[in-house]
This record gives sequence, C-alpha cells and structure tokens, in this order.
Amino acid sequence: MKRGSAAAPEPILAARGITKRFPGVLALDDVDLDVYPGEIHAVLGQNGAGKTTLMNILFGLVQPDEGTLEVFGRRVRFRSPHDALTHGIGMVHQTRRLVSAHTVLENIVLGHPRVRGVLNLRAARTEVETLGNRYGFTVDLGARVWQLSEGERQWVEILKALYRGARILILDEPTSALTPPEVKILLAGLQGLVRGQGITVILVTHKLPIVMSASHRVTVLRSGKVVVRLKTAEATEEILVHHMVGRDVAFRSTDRALPRGRPLLEAEQLAAFNDKGLLALRGVSFSLREGEVLGVAGVTGNGQEELAQVLAGLRPAASGSVRFDGQDITRLSPLQRWQRGIGYVPAERSEVASIAAFSLVENITLNYHFDPAFTRRGVLDDAGLERLTQRILSAYNVKAPHQHTRAQHLSGGNLQKLILGRVLSRRPRFLIAHLPTHGLDVEATAFVRASLLDARAAGAAVLLVSEDLDEILSLSDWVAPIYEGRFGAVLSREEADAETVGAMMAGSLLKGARGQ
Amino acid sequence: MKLGRYELTLEPRPALPPFHAVLTAVVAILLALAFSSVLFLSAETNIFTAYRAVFSYAFFNSHGLLATVHRSIFLLFCTYAFLVPLRAGLWNIGLPGQVYAGGLAGFAVPFVLGAPQVRALPPDLLIVLMMVAAATAGAAVGGFAGVLRARFQVNEILVTMMLNSIIFWLVAYMIKEGGPFMSATGEGESFGLPVPLHAPLLLGVPFTALLALGAAVLLDPLFAKTALGYRIRAFGESPAAARYGGIIPMALSLVVFLLGGAFAGLAGYHYFAAVPGVYKIPGNYGYYGDLGFYGIICALIARGSSLGAVPIVVLFAGLSLGARFAQGELRLPFGVDYALLGLLMITFVASHVLYRFRFAWRRIPPEALPHVSAELPQE
Amino acid sequence: MWELLARSLEASTIFLFAALGELISQRAGVLNVGLEGLMLFGGTAAFITAQTTSSYPLGLLAGLAIGGFLGLAHGFFCITLRGDQVVSGMGLWILSFGLTTYLGNPYTGPLGLERVPRFFGLSPFYPLGVMLVATAWFLLFRTSHGLAIRSVGENPGAAEASGIPVAVIRYLCVTSGGILAGLSGATYTLSYNPVWNYNFLMGWGFVSLALVFFSMWNPWILLAGASLFGIMWQLSLSPELVLPGVLSRYVWRTVPFAITIPILCVISTPWFRTRWGLAKPEALGRPYAKE
Repeated sequence: MKRGSAAAPEPILAARGITKRFPGVLALDDVDLDVYPGEIHAVLGQNGAGKTTLMNILFGLVQPDEGTLEVFGRRVRFRSPHDALTHGIGMVHQTRRLVSAHTVLENIVLGHPRVRGVLNLRAARTEVETLGNRYGFTVDLGARVWQLSEGERQWVEILKALYRGARILILDEPTSALTPPEVKILLAGLQGLVRGQGITVILVTHKLPIVMSASHRVTVLRSGKVVVRLKTAEATEEILVHHMVGRDVAFRSTDRALPRGRPLLEAEQLAAFNDKGLLALRGVSFSLREGEVLGVAGVTGNGQEELAQVLAGLRPAASGSVRFDGQDITRLSPLQRWQRGIGYVPAERSEVASIAAFSLVENITLNYHFDPAFTRRGVLDDAGLERLTQRILSAYNVKAPHQHTRAQHLSGGNLQKLILGRVLSRRPRFLIAHLPTHGLDVEATAFVRASLLDARAAGAAVLLVSEDLDEILSLSDWVAPIYEGRFGAVLSREEADAETVGAMMAGSLLKGARGQ
Repeated sequence: MKLGRYELTLEPRPALPPFHAVLTAVVAILLALAFSSVLFLSAETNIFTAYRAVFSYAFFNSHGLLATVHRSIFLLFCTYAFLVPLRAGLWNIGLPGQVYAGGLAGFAVPFVLGAPQVRALPPDLLIVLMMVAAATAGAAVGGFAGVLRARFQVNEILVTMMLNSIIFWLVAYMIKEGGPFMSATGEGESFGLPVPLHAPLLLGVPFTALLALGAAVLLDPLFAKTALGYRIRAFGESPAAARYGGIIPMALSLVVFLLGGAFAGLAGYHYFAAVPGVYKIPGNYGYYGDLGFYGIICALIARGSSLGAVPIVVLFAGLSLGARFAQGELRLPFGVDYALLGLLMITFVASHVLYRFRFAWRRIPPEALPHVSAELPQE
Repeated sequence: MWELLARSLEASTIFLFAALGELISQRAGVLNVGLEGLMLFGGTAAFITAQTTSSYPLGLLAGLAIGGFLGLAHGFFCITLRGDQVVSGMGLWILSFGLTTYLGNPYTGPLGLERVPRFFGLSPFYPLGVMLVATAWFLLFRTSHGLAIRSVGENPGAAEASGIPVAVIRYLCVTSGGILAGLSGATYTLSYNPVWNYNFLMGWGFVSLALVFFSMWNPWILLAGASLFGIMWQLSLSPELVLPGVLSRYVWRTVPFAITIPILCVISTPWFRTRWGLAKPEALGRPYAKE
C-alpha cells in the first residue's frame, strides 16, 4: 500500500456506524469500514457474522437502519443497486446473478445506461471486447451462460461490473465454488486489476488462506461487530482465527485403526441425466465396504448431486447398476431403499430434507410414516413418534423450544442436527451425506462430522459428497475427485493429497489414474 | 405511506398462531355479510328488511330451511371435492365437470338397465348402484386430471377447465336435440327418475345428508392422524420433501383426485337424483355446476378443515338461497347469489393477506429523511 | 369459405389479445391464471358502456380500463404483497365471474348498435392483432427494455443487481397484460358476438392460457396458434361445412377443448420438455423478495 507524502491517504469508501436489524436478529451493530484506493481489502468472518449484509448495504440492495456512507469523499445514500453502480461500486455476489438462458454479452449489457432503446448489440460488443482485452478476459461473448464453468461465470460478472464503470469491486465469497486452479487464476487476475488498472477490491470471505495470500488489509467481523482491523502483513492465521471465533478451536483428529467389514455397496458405470436433460453423470464405478467412508470431492455442478440422487433412488439411472448387499437395487424406489437400510441426508436442508411449516415431530415422521413400528392399521402412533423425537432432540443436542415448534424456526445448524438424527436413528447400513456441513458454524460442523464418524464406527458405509477438501481429507478412507461426471480416480487416504485431488477436481490428470 | 417521522409498512407476520386462522375466517365471513349488504343497498332496499327476508326464508321458513339443507349437502360435497386435493397442494377446478359426470353416470344406471329391469330389481340396490356409479364417474374424471398432472406435470388447472367444458357440452348432447337421455317431452332436459328410485328420506332429508356429515367428521382425523393423511399434507407443503420421504407423486396425485372427484360425483348424484322435486337433469343445468364454485371458497376459508367447513357451507347455502328468494321478493336483479360469490372471493383473498401480513408503524431512520442528491463523482 | 376464414380469424383475435397480454406478463415472471376473469369483466364493462352511451370507442375504453385495473390489482397482490399468484388469479376469476353475472344481467341480449364495419369481411381487430404481435416481438427481442423484461422473468435477482427496477417492470407487464385481456373481452362483446349472456366466454380464457404455454413464449408462434384455434372453433360451430351429419353439434363444441389436452401432454414429453424448459421464464410464478 502506498503511503501519502504528507497526510495519510483518504479512504475511497468509508462506512460509519452501520446498523441493521432484521426481525429477531441484530445483523450489524455499529460497524465502521475504511477501504483505501488501490488495495485488496479482506472482510473476514464466519457464516452469520454479517459480511453479506454489510456488502448488500454497500451495494444498495439493503438500507441500513443507522449509519452513514461516504464514497469518493461524498456522503451518499443508496436506494438501490442503480445508485451504487452510478457511484462506481460493482458487486459480484456469492451466488451467480446471471441470466443463464441469455448470452454473455446480453448479461453484460443488461441495465447499462448507455445501452437503451433499440438494442444495438454490435456496437456494444466491440466496446466490451476492447474492455475485455484490456483486462485479459477471454470468454466467448456469444456463449450462453449455462454453458460456462463456474470460474468463467465469475469473470463474466466481474467484466460486467467493470463495463458499468466500477472502480470499487466487491466480491462476496468468490472462491467458494471454484476449483483450486481457478482460485489461483482469480487471485492473480485481481492483483492485475489492482496494480495495473487502479481498481479497488473488497474481498469478503471466511477462508484464511485467501486472506493471507491475496489481501493488503483485513477487517474481521464477528456476530455483527468489527473485532479488529489489521494489515495482512502483520497478521497470522492463528490471530485471525482467534478473532473470528472468539476463542481457540481445536479440531479432533481421527484415528484410522478400524477393522474393515465385507463389501456392501457396488456401483457399476452409473450414468444419469440432470434436470436440463444433459448427461451429468457419465459412468461412475466404485465399491464400498462396511465401515468405510468414500469422500467424493468436487465443485458443485460436476455430477455429484446426480450421483447422490441416483444412489438414493430419487433420480433414475440412465445406465449402470447399483448393488447393495449383493442385490441389485437400481430400480428400487426411495421408500424401498429406506426400508432396506439406506439413509440419505440431502444438501437442500429446508427444501428437500425437511418441511419448514411442519413441526419437529412431523419432520421426524418423514422418515417413519411407512414404518410398521409406528403405524397401526394406517393410523400414526403419535405417542411413539413424540418419544422418538424427544430422544433425537436430546441425543443430537438440537436447541428448540419444544417438539411442536415448526422447523422453520430452527437455525441451520440445529435443523441439520435434527435431520442427521432422524436419518441416523434408523441405523442405516449405507449413508449418503451430501454437503452435510454446508453453511454451518464451527460447533455444528464439528458435531456433524463426529456423527458421521460414529456411524462409520458402527459399521455403516458412508458416501460423503463435499466441496470442502479439508473435510474430505479428514473424514474419508477413500477419496474420489469428481469432474464432469467422472471420477478422476479413487485414491486411498494415504495417496490423496490436496494438490493431486485439487488438480483432479479441476479436470487435469484425468487421463492418468482411473478406477480402483 | 409516510406521516412525518413515521411510516406505515406492510411486513410479513413472523409466526402464524392457530388462533389467527379462526379469527381471519370469522373476519372473512363478517366481510361477506357486509358486502352483501352493499348489494341490497344498491337496490335501494332497507338493509334490515332485506336481511330479515334472507335469513327468515333460509332458516326459519319450512320450505326455505329444507332448501337450505339440500343445498348445504350439495355444497358440502363440492367443498370436499376441492378440499382433498387442496391439502395436497392441487387445484381441482374441474369439480363442476365432475359433478355433471356424476349426474350423468347416476342417470345412466336406469337408462342402461332398461325399464323392465328397473321394475324387477329392488330399488335400494338400484339407488346404491346409482350412487356408486356417480362417485366412480366423478373419480374417473378427476383421476384423469390427476394422472396427467403427475405423469406429465401438466398444469391441473388447465386440464380440469378443459374437462369442464368438454363434459358440459357432453351433457348438453345427452339431454338435448334427441340425445339418449332426453325426456319424452323433448324439452331439452333429461328423463325423470321413476318414483321407486327417488332417494329415501330421513326426517324429510335425503340420506345423502348422512354421507356428507360422515365425511365432515371423518376427513379431519384422516388428515391429522393417518399415514395417508400425513403423506397428503407433506406433499401439499413440499412435493420435493415428500418425494424424499418416499411418497410417490403419481400415486398421491391420483389418490387425492380420485377422492375429490368421487365427492363431486356424489354432489352430482345428490343434486340431480336425490333432491325432492328435482329428480332430473334440467335444461339449464349449468347453474348447478357454477354453484359448485362456492365449494372452492368454503374450502379456502375453512383452511382445509372438513368440520370447519360445515358452518361456513350452511351459512353460504342459506345466504345464497335467501338472496335468491329476496331477489324475487325485493325485485333485485338476477344473479345476486353470483355477485355474492364474487365478493366472497375478495373477502377470502383479503383474509389471506391479513393472515400473512400486518400493518406496522416504523420510525424512519434520521439519515433517510433529508434528501441527498446522488451526484456523479468528478471524472 | 372466405366468410368462414374471416370469422375464424376474428375468433382468433379473442385468443390472441388475451394470450399476448399473458405472454408479456409471464415473460416478466408473473402468472395470471384468472385471465378468463379479466376478459369477462372487460367484455361486460365494454358492453354495458357501449349499450348505455351508444359509443363503441367509449365501450372499448371501458373494457381496457377495467382490464388494466384488475391487472394492477393482481400485480399488487403478487408483487407488493408477494402472495401466491395462483390464489390471486383464481380469486380474480371467481370475482369476475360472480360480479359480471350480476352486473350484466339487466343487459342480457343483443347490443343494438350497428355492427363494427368489416373490410372485405375481415374485422379490423385482426390486423390490429398482427400489429400488436409484431410490436411485442420487437419490444421483447430488439430493445433494451425487452431484455430487461426477459431478465426479470428469468432471474429477478440478476436484474435487480444490474440496477433494473424489478417491481416496476413486473407491474408494467402485468397491467399491460390486463389491458390486453380487457381488449380481448371487449372484442368479443362488441364485435365478434355482440350479444351479452352470463359467462359468455365459456372457458376461452383458459384456452388462451394454454396457448401461451404452447407458444413457448414466442409472439409469432402464438399468432399461429391463435389462428389455428380460431379456425378450429369456427369449424366446431358449423361442422356441417366439413363433416355434414356426423355427430351432434354439441359434441363438436368439445373439440377445441379436447385437442388442448393431448397437446399439453406432448409438451411435457422429454424431447419437447428440454426445448420448452429452456424457453420458459425460469422465475415464472415465483414471488420475488429483495434480499
């Protein structure tokens, strides 16, 4: 960071006293933020710390209840993203804000003040191409967004912000859906923008390595408050974790010395189509014994969702077979699979795995309404279900006022614990866990991981699908990176290291090791 | 809406306590009564006279009361025809078509058997056959839409409306211009049912009342306590989660539409074959089908409760009948009961809004008050 | 023969106006299943106004105004209150059905005005319809406003983040849809069949709704579909022109409705579904809430 000659340089963006309340929660409490020109400023915090809310306020999507904002030295109030864009602030969100059915060019010019009235896409195309070349951007402007990879889509959003004249770029968790090589490209590109073009970047993340390697200064948020502001050069990972979490956190190490059981699950060349009718799973094979965990590592959109759904029976296999305990179950319905001892924890906690408007008891019933132990001639055994619910609530430490609370009132972590408890209470012999710790705080994450290991210890075969490489490496016996619907390889835990797995997740080394 | 330092906003209610559901239903009904008084006002009638005429005919006149009971039974069946698929999140707008199909099937029984057989067989058996045929026909029509919905994800609203029109014209074919069911007098209406086939009466009321009340009492526990009811409710709340829970969408859609259709078929049986004094499909039968739409409103206001629907149905049955009567007495234009139907829908929608939102005063943050111009930074 | 064709095209304008309006509304992501209600109310208002003022333009204006007002109401419920779009649509339909039966009853019967002039047998509404289709196509696919509308219907979050006022766009589209639905109803009662009877549409509104789905949200395909339906409907009214003596005319009346059902199924087959699925505005029917 350059130092001013006489006085300290003025911040290009200064937020003071930002406060925001949502029904029932204080999301931001008197937050100040100073961002200096030409720097990469990291805003670090856990999920729920308030980072995204703060960025939404800076971008005009949300209005603060209290506080002021100064941009380029002027006091401003943004009523909508339109105002923010006019002031030179652009934002690239955590989830893609692109119209997947439209082309890259159409997305970039959408809402642009200069592109009005009759669409003259040819003129716009030349402008965008010039701009893209200046920033080193190489995606085909005529391609439809749904055809692009996650990394490419991110660049489209960045270019779009730059075309709108953004001098300040806010990036909200930009690396969460990227493969390791794509992350490197992104960070290098950001450095280029900052040094070469004088753009200022605000980088919001919960990932320490990103902060340490890419930022100049960092502001740490915890529970809606700013806890510390540091120059990155003066910080270490331990210091940052300490501020982020509020205390020191130790992770349990896992022991490996467990006897292996007999083969339980065999998948042979499984293939399946996704919802758009494209072949998303292209021939996956593996076999799993009792007490083994197979970690499928990949970035969302490479077929792992389809794999989990095929194994659970929620999606038909286009070809291939699955054998469970020696029997072919490829054509069995989900219900038949639950009855045979297969359990599934879906990634979509509130849309698929639970029913928001139902009470906790009714949610438990979702995996029990077909169980003869809980129904008598078609009538549900309410008392038995309530007892079961009570047992699950205490065993899994689910915090809720009472059993008849609606599931929508549970926090993400408690809901996930409830779902996990429900599935595990049936003592499945094969468990499919899809993104089980996604979006959970540190404590809930640790609890879920421990529960998975307990299931493994009890002899279950577990298929763990996750984007978190650390999670995969710490829990799995076998690691299978997935890319474009195929396993790069099935590596044993000893053979799997972060570089190899990361590279396979991105599609390289695919022609090398294959199969088991 | 701003007022000095405060503004009035509409914000979603965080929780929905059950007490509120009853409250909003009551509000809906009161609004309905208020709206109908608007109708009477528009006809320059004294409101009290009008209401007295309406209610005294509907509930205190021996003819009127009986008519109210008959219509209540019809509406109750229609309500359940809509209510069962509603709990599963599906809209059975096709209930008028299913009502006609039920009526047609009921009449088909004596028609197919022929006069000699009809005289020979015991009338009770025939009546049961007619009822079963009616329920089956309604179920078949409903089930067709259910299958299409589950198998092809075809919008059930579109399919059922198409079926309504198709069946409407089919009935016209059957009873007009030489169609098979046409009566001997050829007046564009169906043949009348022979006396032995008239529905037996209990306390002067057709036995179908028992069926309707039975459904009223049994449907609520079905939904609350049985596995099938649970599955229907789960599917209605979240089809994706229900699928995950092992529920098969095709089977469930089919079941609820079969049940709903069966109730509508029974409504058709009741109205054309069981109400004393009717016993035929009249030339202007379209009116009865349209009346079925009251069933939609009752089911919606009752929020899916079968027992809760009973008082609402009785009220609306009496109100519409009384209004029709008052229409003649007080010289109101035709279609007062239709207008009421329309207005009731607004009250339902309004109560739906109140159920989910509330008005709140919020203090505007001081920073928002002074106008700040959004100037562009100097280039 | 020409008369049959001319009459068919006139019938098709009824479908066309309503479906085109709904197409615009759906392109912005708002579904109105109560289309039939808006058509009924627009037609009734137009008829009553024309009858009482003996003026076609005033009648037309009344129809447009009522349609626009109801569209606005639907928009308020769906956009500002984020209510269920199907509930609101159904509510508007039943509301219109009930109220028009009551309000129009005194006016039952023929309009009593000189018929709207025809040019070589063709009603002036058909060329108007074609012009509207061309305008709609141009607006949606050749202007920045159209890009904005389509983006709102695909991904309102993306549109909002690009600075586009999602709510305003949705309101404009749903109100335009209402105005066109009112136009459709007015065309029916003032020109196509100027005799008022309760529930005069008998399900045409729902056929128009189906037409929007069939057309894959493309105005030109919509024009073709509406014309086809118009021909089918006219044929069903006078089947003796094609197949004399076969089946009662009542059975023929069911044909347009009966044909819709298998077409709806064909659309849902996998081959069709991918192409149709890609054409469908992704956010259709879903209320949009800012962060």
